[in-house]
Amino acid sequence: MIALIRSAMLDFYPSTEHLPGLDRVDLDGFLERYKREAPALLWSGLVAAAIAYNLSPIVTIKKPLPATRLSPEDRARHVDLVGSTENYQLRQLMFLLKMVAGMAWGQSPEVRQAMGLSPYPEDPGTWRQA
Amino acid sequence: MSHLSYVEGAKVEVEADYVVVGSGAGGSAAAVTLARGGERVAIVEAGPWRDPEDYPYSAYGGMRDMMDDWNSLVTMGRATWPIVQARLVGGTTVVNSAIAVRTPGDVFETWREKFGVGGPAMADAVWRAQDRIERELFVSRASDAALGGSNRLALLADQRLGLEGHRMDRYIKDCVGSGQCLQGCRDKRKQSTNLNYIPEVMQRGGTVVSCAPVEKIVVERGRAEAVVGRFVHPVTRKKGAAFEVRAKKGVFIAASVTKTPILLAASGIKPKALGTRFMAHPGSGIFGFYDEIVDTNVGATQGWASVKHRLDHGIKLETLSIPLELAASRFPGGGRPLMERLREYRHCAMWIQACWAETQGKIVRGPGGKPIVRYSLEKRDLERFRVGMRLVAEMHFAAGAKAIYTGIHGFPWKIGPDDLHLIDQAPLEARNYIAVLSHLFGGAVMGNDPKTSVTDERGRVHDVPNLVVADASVMPSNIGVNPQHTIMGLATHFAELALGG
Repeated sequence: MIALIRSAMLDFYPSTEHLPGLDRVDLDGFLERYKREAPALLWSGLVAAAIAYNLSPIVTIKKPLPATRLSPEDRARHVDLVGSTENYQLRQLMFLLKMVAGMAWGQSPEVRQAMGLSPYPEDPGTWRQA
Repeated sequence: MSHLSYVEGAKVEVEADYVVVGSGAGGSAAAVTLARGGERVAIVEAGPWRDPEDYPYSAYGGMRDMMDDWNSLVTMGRATWPIVQARLVGGTTVVNSAIAVRTPGDVFETWREKFGVGGPAMADAVWRAQDRIERELFVSRASDAALGGSNRLALLADQRLGLEGHRMDRYIKDCVGSGQCLQGCRDKRKQSTNLNYIPEVMQRGGTVVSCAPVEKIVVERGRAEAVVGRFVHPVTRKKGAAFEVRAKKGVFIAASVTKTPILLAASGIKPKALGTRFMAHPGSGIFGFYDEIVDTNVGATQGWASVKHRLDHGIKLETLSIPLELAASRFPGGGRPLMERLREYRHCAMWIQACWAETQGKIVRGPGGKPIVRYSLEKRDLERFRVGMRLVAEMHFAAGAKAIYTGIHGFPWKIGPDDLHLIDQAPLEARNYIAVLSHLFGGAVMGNDPKTSVTDERGRVHDVPNLVVADASVMPSNIGVNPQHTIMGLATHFAELALGG
């Protein structure tokens, strides 16, 4: 399932001549961590979003193929349109997918450097235990 | 002083004069008042205690470490809008922008006229408490040094449009404008209650029990006797030892608007009004794009506000910065077009409108005891909401923005100043807007009629006089301004009354 999620996320945030994309981020590591740390409900939502992304080219570009089987041109059109579809539930699922992917992308040191932003130190993840 | 956190094994038992459930604005204000009155207080908080050096840097860390269930609670209605609530010692005071707005006088008048509570006596008591809180928590206006580009542009728009706005009054001492309000202020400038009132309660002999979500209030013969639950590990969510915190004199509940009604219901307290009158400020942001670099993530997260249109349109205008990670999901599209748009992040400022909505929702207990919030913004509020969007859009153009992104479904990526009429014609359909509910009210409201309320005007649950609700749940109306100061003032007032003041 991680492969399907990764595939959809990479479509949303590809590398360009100006900015590094998610392909420059340890996305598998991020997703493994997200699966381990996030509530099961959110992980389930992300899985549903990836499935919806893959099955919705029929809605966005009227092609009865999963996103993974589209040509690069069709896939680019699909990813640009799927977040603004008339179907509210699909829109919300894409928002979730984009948000989680956006967190992986926007916290990447390479991305932040390309944007001219300071890198984040590691989140401590600690708390007072006594 | 003592702090108990997650443990496994044998049941943990604590006894105090008063038990306070929740450590946010309401819980901490009530607890410190009781402690200053000489009472031994135990604060029981569902989340962990994170000190500033524990605070995260990234949005991911913020959701994981600070927010209740990773901020996954959304409204169930026409639209699914996120409901922002924290879960850690200090509660939402750790992750909000520390905005201090005195309770407007009309709020107490409304409560007196419609619900038989409030009026001049409550107003005097709350304002007196707010006077003291403002001194203790260093309420001050955002300084020049703390403003940053986004707030400076908002001040310019204010000047040009006559919005009668002002720099935000915040519980902050010598803000350095690090732009990290939402992830917790690592510079210790923001006066979240985990830095002041809660340590003071401990210094006065109190106890803090963290990682301890209360499952039930034990009520016997019409008196609240204890709270019980099991510790929950903040990372693995594994359940630990059971705990019981006994109250010799009383229990204050300040578990939040969404949790307090659920906890009361789980404890067998189910008046007809429980969970009703849920209200909020749905807010939505508009991005303005400027020629110059704005760097919205530098400077006070929220440093400017206007309440000029609070009474005529029911709208409050504010600045609000969001980090790159969250802007990435707010900007539309995907693939190369999205990446091109994100290149403009440093040139954008996001400002918001918070709508004083009259729409009422309901909080009910869902699977696993989690709250379900039923809420669908009604047409009259959507009209206000849309007016608010227009006002924010006008501000950006007055400040020199070349274009704006509204986030309204069906709108182009950017619109210019000649397209403002499009906002006036936007559909009155909640699903067309990206919004967040950050200020919540009701669910366990006070009133003089037990048939239509949950507590009396002292916050005491009808028929359980030593059980006091001390958070925004008791507010029977939407107050139309940021609620933290009112929550703290009311909780202090209720605690003073419990002390016999």
